[in-house]
Amino acid sequence: MKPRDSISTRYILNDLIKNKGVNLALLVILVLSAFLMATGSMVMERLVGSVNQLFDEAKPPHFLQMHKGEYDQAALDRFAAEHPEIDAWVVEEMLGFDSAALAWERPSTGENGDLADSLIDNLFVTQNPDFDFLIDQDGEIPRPSAGEAYVPVAYEQRFELAIGDELRVKTAEGFQELTIAGFVRDSQMASSLSSATRFLVSEADFEALSEAGGGAPEIIVEYRLTDASLVSDFQRAYESDEALPKNGQAVTYQMIRVINAFSDGLVAMALMFVSLLLIAISLLNARFVIRGTLEDEVREIGAMKAIGLPNKSISGLYLSKYRAMTFLACVAGGLLAIVATNLLTRTVQVNYAEAPLGLSTFLVPVLALALVYVFVVGICRRVFKKIRKIQVVNALVHGSTLDDRQTARRAKRQAKRVRRTSLAAFRGTNVNRRLAWLDLRAESAQWILIPVVFFLASVLMTLPMNLLSTFESPKFVTYLGAQESDVRVDLQFSEDVDTVREDVLAAMRQDERLTAVRTYANVLYEAEGEDGWEIFRVEVGDYSDGSVAFTEGGRPESGQIAVSVLNADKYELSPGDDFTIRLDGASTTLTVSGVYQDVTSGGYTAKMEGEVTAGAAAYVFYADSAEGEDPAAIAADYGDEFPSAASIPMREYVTQTLSYVTDAFRSAAVLSFVFGIGVAALITSLFLKLRLTSDRQKMGMLSAVGFSTSEIIAQVRGKTLFAVAVGTVLGPVFAATGGESVVGSFIALAGLGIADLAFIPNPLLVYLVYPLALISAGYLTALALTARLRGADKSAWLRG
Amino acid sequence: MPQTDQVTLECESLTKTYYSTDPPTQVLNGIDLAVKRGEFLVVMGASGSGKSSLLYSISGMDRPTGGNVTLEGRELTSMKDPEVSRVRLTSMGFIFQQAYFLSNLNIQDNILLPALKATPKDKAGVVARVDALMERFGIEHVKRHGITQVSGGQLQRASICRALAGEPTILFADEPTGALNSSMTAEVMDALSDVHSGGTTLVMVTHDPACAARADRIVYLKDGLLVDSRELGAWTKEDAKRREDEVFAWLSEKGF
Repeated sequence: MKPRDSISTRYILNDLIKNKGVNLALLVILVLSAFLMATGSMVMERLVGSVNQLFDEAKPPHFLQMHKGEYDQAALDRFAAEHPEIDAWVVEEMLGFDSAALAWERPSTGENGDLADSLIDNLFVTQNPDFDFLIDQDGEIPRPSAGEAYVPVAYEQRFELAIGDELRVKTAEGFQELTIAGFVRDSQMASSLSSATRFLVSEADFEALSEAGGGAPEIIVEYRLTDASLVSDFQRAYESDEALPKNGQAVTYQMIRVINAFSDGLVAMALMFVSLLLIAISLLNARFVIRGTLEDEVREIGAMKAIGLPNKSISGLYLSKYRAMTFLACVAGGLLAIVATNLLTRTVQVNYAEAPLGLSTFLVPVLALALVYVFVVGICRRVFKKIRKIQVVNALVHGSTLDDRQTARRAKRQAKRVRRTSLAAFRGTNVNRRLAWLDLRAESAQWILIPVVFFLASVLMTLPMNLLSTFESPKFVTYLGAQESDVRVDLQFSEDVDTVREDVLAAMRQDERLTAVRTYANVLYEAEGEDGWEIFRVEVGDYSDGSVAFTEGGRPESGQIAVSVLNADKYELSPGDDFTIRLDGASTTLTVSGVYQDVTSGGYTAKMEGEVTAGAAAYVFYADSAEGEDPAAIAADYGDEFPSAASIPMREYVTQTLSYVTDAFRSAAVLSFVFGIGVAALITSLFLKLRLTSDRQKMGMLSAVGFSTSEIIAQVRGKTLFAVAVGTVLGPVFAATGGESVVGSFIALAGLGIADLAFIPNPLLVYLVYPLALISAGYLTALALTARLRGADKSAWLRG
Repeated sequence: MPQTDQVTLECESLTKTYYSTDPPTQVLNGIDLAVKRGEFLVVMGASGSGKSSLLYSISGMDRPTGGNVTLEGRELTSMKDPEVSRVRLTSMGFIFQQAYFLSNLNIQDNILLPALKATPKDKAGVVARVDALMERFGIEHVKRHGITQVSGGQLQRASICRALAGEPTILFADEPTGALNSSMTAEVMDALSDVHSGGTTLVMVTHDPACAARADRIVYLKDGLLVDSRELGAWTKEDAKRREDEVFAWLSEKGF
């Protein structure tokens, strides 16, 4: 070992022993930062890897169009022949069964159950020949034999199904039994946000199921292109061809990817966000500790300078400790992250695919940790640059880190300040309070650490909680383009749609269990895009109840139209603009009344006031349940009565669809609550520990002139409480303003159609419980630390 | 005002042990001492003899390990911290080797602080008293200055003003001239003699025989025990040189 290295090592060891508490606190925060950063980056890498792997194996379509009802096969053939960019295409036939029609039984034990709790669509399909494969858990493309079924992996976990279980499908002719031969992953519908899932059966069983009836037939027309970047042009070409089937939703490869990444990537993003805040806190903390160290050891530094050690060697000596600590933190954080990533990505690996370990698996987290290391050490190095300015005489004689000019400047500042403040002119009678306030003002440069840390901790705790309460709020459905309601009935793609509409509406209006029945029609208009006329979906109904929130402008009245955010961008519309659409060749020019956010139909929708009773592509009914009525039971009744209508209890549906995301947010909220409180308390204790040490002489003097220990303690507690409260109050204010915009813009970037995410916070929690918890944590820490002052010999304080 | 025979401060069998060291250090080994009202008492002894520990134990700053201390008939050692603090506020004054002041207050505010705390409702009276004190000790012109803008001597005189602002019955000084040059030392000692002549009881720890020569009585500590004392009588400027020689000779006998 070189002599310098051995001095550094000895210095580090001695310092670690001497300042155990301070170093441990710093190390804990650094480890947490490194841990979260590494976990975030690893989860992201695994997720992208898993999605890529699944996409490689399953080859999802680049463009797909859902459709219900009759279609023109010849038109599809013609379209395919006209478009050489099509690499492969297929019309996938599907049979949709209600969850209540699916039951299972385990022959070995006799256990059984049904899937009725699931609210998403269950589509039975056969394996595709060329692409859009359903993949089994070994990454193979399974081809079931007669009597076998492959069930979605999500159901395997949710209903604890196993290979060998019997799956019973209730058809119009009775039960059809299939044996579960395995579980499949679905590239199109893998996302936890997906509203449907696919079961794989043999050709023979598919035929049998179709003939038996009870299932709703649907098709998906799927295309795989030679070049995925041609999708937009291809979609336009498809939509402008009137002969092609297209009464359902159109989905592109990009949308599949975004939806896949959005739901699970949010977890990784939340982790990295928490980590960034923690890094900010640990940097502030390191800076504070370093400055304190320099002030404590200024005489030693002066002596080292006096014997001719170069500045670089001196700062190198001090920096070595921070280098060692940050390195240790990165290693420990990285190791912990491996465990955490395995836990967090378990569902991702099951739903998507097990991504192979590659170079990036190691490089990404190492790079993230290297960034943490370089950043932290870089900032520490900057703070240590102050050593260069320390003058030998000032350091040795006055114990000051300041040079002459700085000393003079400081004295001038101080003089100016003390001339303005006067105890004699002070009106109040509480000298203690006055002293505490003057202290805070004079030492604001040091005390600022506390409000800043509590501010960051508060933001850290509030943002995930706000996201959680927003996604859990009944109002959130309005962001998804739906209205806030208890029951929603969808009627689409069927031949006799207009007749069924009348029946459903009549039934709902007569139903005493329902109130406020609203009906909307989805009409396929056309609008002129870059390449001519294309499909333009408009929902027509009554919006006078203010059930839709507009980000710009307001609700449409007669002669007006409101457009979704993505349509406003696409057609460059804003309120007040004229916009021409046509239906069956007849054009109408409308004025844009407002813009709203929507994620349905890919986010491209519009709304018009009025009532359409016939000729629409689909109808939607919303109703509220009367008090005491169970929306789930009502929805089930309508489902039975009108098999061609999809009837769902809205709140339950949204809760279930978003459950994976809300679960992730809940974990993030709990995690950040614990970290927030823990880190805030840790830093408060560290700060007060250093502060009380440097304030010993002042406390000794106050004690000598007649201030009791209780009063001195009360001053410290009061200052802490004030600093803590300021930071804590600013946190939720920022979270509700700036934080909302930051998170909102992230979500807007995902291109889902949510342009302006307004938080729906839980006011009791965010504005009362959280601040109180933070303030209590800070205050209790101050109580614990200052309690030690009692019983001390005050003369020892005076000795410093 | 000359000293009287009435005892103002008294300690009996005073012991003090520091348990923070290994093994524990006993710095006071059973001290009996009585300070008369109006007396100027100096405590001397070699470094580590227990002088400062004695001063802080009898002033209620530190809790003695054993024995008791009474001030004006009230036993300090049995009082709780707020009560002792109140006694320090209203009946005691302190001067230290280093002038401990709050840097965020100006000189006047620093001096006002304990007096204002003692009688917050009589602000005008306190301010007038402090102004008079500052004038008496020649620092009136720097009252609005910050503590870094005045000399060491001025700061120590401000310390004396602060110690006197509450009109204490007894003043404790711990090496008040230890950090000063000779002219500033004389300045501060003149001020203290002035205070003493006004009738205030003074207990001072010092290393400086010339400063000690101003006292009415000197007690000498060795290894935590009071081993000797010498009555010097009232100090006069004319007699100063002779007293200094006398103290010097006495201390030399003790190997000081």
